[in-house]
Amino acid sequence: MYELLRQACDTARAAGCSFADARYLEIDEQTLASRDHALAHNNESRDRGIGVRVLYRGAWGFASAPGYEPAAVDGAVALALDIARASAYAPRADGVGWADEAPWQAEFHSDYARDPFALPLAEKADLLLAANEVMLHNPAVKRAQGYLAFRRVRRWYVNSEGSELHSDVTSSSAMLWAVAVGDSDFQQRSWQAPSVTRGFEAFDRAQFVAEAERIAAEAEEKLTAALAPEGTFDIVTDSENLSLTIHESVGHATELDRVMGYEVSMAGGSFVDRDKLDRFRYGSEQVTLMADNTLRHGLATHGFDDDGVPGQRWPIVEDGILRGYSTGREFAHYIDQQRSRGSCRADHWSSIPIVRIPNLFLMPGKQPLSPDELIGDIEHGLYFEGMDSFSIDQWRLNFQFGGNAVWEIRNGRKTRMLKAALYQSSTPDFWNACDATCDERFWRAHGVTNCGKGDPMQVAQMTHGAAPTRFRGIRICRGRD
Amino acid sequence: MERQQAQDFIGDILELPRAGELQVLLEGQQRLGTRFSGCAISQNALRQQVRLTLSARLEQKKTSLTLNSIDDREQIAQAIERAFATCRHLPDDEELMPAPGEVIAQAEHTRRGAAEAISIDTAGRWVAQACAAGAAADIDLAGLLATGNNFTAYGDSAGGFAHERHDRVDYHVTASGDTGSGWAEHQGIEISRDSLMTATRRAIDKCLAAQSPRVFEPRATTVVLEPQAVGDLLAMTAWYGLDQRARDEGRSAFSRFDQRLGRLSLYSDPAHPAFPARNFSNDGEAVGRGTWLDHGELQQLITSRYWARQQDLPAKPWPTNLVLDGDGTPLEELIGDVDDGILVTRFWYIRATDPGTLGFTGMTRDGTFRIEQGRVTHPVVDMRWNESVLNLLQNVSGSGTPVATGERFPLVMPPLRVERFNFSSLSQSPPSIG
Repeated sequence: MYELLRQACDTARAAGCSFADARYLEIDEQTLASRDHALAHNNESRDRGIGVRVLYRGAWGFASAPGYEPAAVDGAVALALDIARASAYAPRADGVGWADEAPWQAEFHSDYARDPFALPLAEKADLLLAANEVMLHNPAVKRAQGYLAFRRVRRWYVNSEGSELHSDVTSSSAMLWAVAVGDSDFQQRSWQAPSVTRGFEAFDRAQFVAEAERIAAEAEEKLTAALAPEGTFDIVTDSENLSLTIHESVGHATELDRVMGYEVSMAGGSFVDRDKLDRFRYGSEQVTLMADNTLRHGLATHGFDDDGVPGQRWPIVEDGILRGYSTGREFAHYIDQQRSRGSCRADHWSSIPIVRIPNLFLMPGKQPLSPDELIGDIEHGLYFEGMDSFSIDQWRLNFQFGGNAVWEIRNGRKTRMLKAALYQSSTPDFWNACDATCDERFWRAHGVTNCGKGDPMQVAQMTHGAAPTRFRGIRICRGRD
Repeated sequence: MERQQAQDFIGDILELPRAGELQVLLEGQQRLGTRFSGCAISQNALRQQVRLTLSARLEQKKTSLTLNSIDDREQIAQAIERAFATCRHLPDDEELMPAPGEVIAQAEHTRRGAAEAISIDTAGRWVAQACAAGAAADIDLAGLLATGNNFTAYGDSAGGFAHERHDRVDYHVTASGDTGSGWAEHQGIEISRDSLMTATRRAIDKCLAAQSPRVFEPRATTVVLEPQAVGDLLAMTAWYGLDQRARDEGRSAFSRFDQRLGRLSLYSDPAHPAFPARNFSNDGEAVGRGTWLDHGELQQLITSRYWARQQDLPAKPWPTNLVLDGDGTPLEELIGDVDDGILVTRFWYIRATDPGTLGFTGMTRDGTFRIEQGRVTHPVVDMRWNESVLNLLQNVSGSGTPVATGERFPLVMPPLRVERFNFSSLSQSPPSIG
């Protein structure tokens, strides 16, 4: 499969490019969506194409074409060169830095036990419809929905430095929603199965049914829940809720392209400027956040990135101190690193690679600590579970997050459910308010499948994880008057 | 692909063996995106794609297959066969409706816009000129010039056909100084070098005015929202609140709300000259003008064909653009009537906080200013807000002339003056880049 890609890089080099790479991708996807008693949507897609990137006289060009025909590849190379020449009208004053990387010949295959694309449709549909039946059994639930999504990306990558790399990654994700309707309100409760690079074995029918029953009951309970109090409280976040907070307040903030202003016009910049490296107290001593693109079943684990750099594990925050950024080969030199962290990915063959959040997680506490013990030390607080409303400013400082379900903590115990609760903070204030996280027995991973970045928007996937974690003195506000 | 070529292509597909009803959707995209930051072109990419979606229906069962190759007739025939075979394994969906079978005339606004005239070389030169203007002002510029030449064609075995070209231009630019930033955009189906430079200068001027922001203690106050801020919020409102069935079934903010929402009208019109949009849906339904708020009075909302049949209502498909009318008051007059308030250039990261009241949160960014005694007096540090759109629409006290906005969804929005808008917390002065 490499021959045409090799030719593309050779042609670009012969035309005077200092670097070129070419990718051919085969993307297969299936999405199923259920609505009450019916399967409302089933789509299978098959998508193939190439992307060619060239660096010509210090300027980038990228072009793509569907298929894998010699003429299409040649055409993409010629267009990429034309585009690079146009980019040269406004070159970077300091040139394009490009970190060295050895030429690699390697393959990476994610593992799975049950190929979701080979399974009968009926088995997949049944999983969703069985869950919907359970949700609709609750008379308060007026709408039950679910989806399953499977994705397989086979990638062949060649660059002008001699790398020839192949990956074959299959991922699976699923979600359920119950909407309960009362006389004066409606409320939604959801459950997200951990999205992973696994096959259908990631899903367990008994778990779907149990979660369906739970979220239906909790959707009903939300209808009559009291409005959250406003003020300053201690809070506990479950692993799913904190995963999104990690994503927004740490993951995006430590993407080095954002720090350097490359994303200012769309996704924004970052408060984590380079002077903070190895100095800045991002959080309390309890906070260690590791990036790991070698994490088994992690959504950002692809063997190597779209710069041809192998996946790595490195600290972003260690014992509360900022220790690293996510980088690509174009950005490593900005922090005087000789090598990229291998975190540059494109979401499609027609997309240009950009720095993406890696698999990133809060390390569990070192001392034995259960959620009950964590909560037991709170007199009056709130417990946030699941993902809901989330918003953060363009510098990744001021944020406000909700929970899909929130409970009041009174005298060390989870008590009644609350609604419309939001926690609002500034990133360093929040992470410095962390005083404990449960141990590894309670650590869970959660996949983010819809991370938007870039312009035009690219959608990437990555895994986050945490154990239930406590934060002291956090401002709580309400999403409803 | 032009109309006749698309009609012939889809006609050939519909001639292939099939076990039931077939819908064919063909989408083509060619998009050049020239992206810049630090007054230099940082990414420059051409995307060329085609997608063919084949939707097979057997009685009350339906499935679809999408390919990105249209040259292999045998592959397409196999995909159709596979789709119908898959259908047989599906449970019935009683809400499934037959293909519309509607022939939709080509809209008059379908034309070749100036987007097609912008070559790779021209895009590079124009962006370089914008970057030079930023460098000359010692301002860091970042943004995107994207030009797209797209088409969509639809055909079904019930005789339906539609085709449309839809060119698209998106230029937006953020100008950053040491302590503040400004932003401007040009959206629509065509652009000239002059309009691109006008937007660039607007962003630079706003940036210069935004330096050294002061703290405004967050509280409820009068705001003047520029069109992007209005559009960003109302687009989210459409997503959460404009479904008729959800309203009828108690799952919408409008299920229990029957008050008048101010006096403005919110509607959709694919033929709107400021920002024309597609005039048919992916399901082959004609998308005409639809009014959602008529002088503040809620109208019939988006209604699927199934729900329309159940409720004996006319079907109203999802809109392809959104327009809020305005009374044409110049921005300076909207500001001039404010004793104490805030001027907002742009909103960012809007998310629902309470779908039951259409409560949202978001941030201001790229040019937020204090208004005192009818004048813009100084920049202020960005703020978070929490506000219900139901309250906001009832609290509109003035509006301007609608203009094209919306990077992802076509919007035509006026600036608005809104009373008692609820700012809730502060961000910080922009940190330096790098």
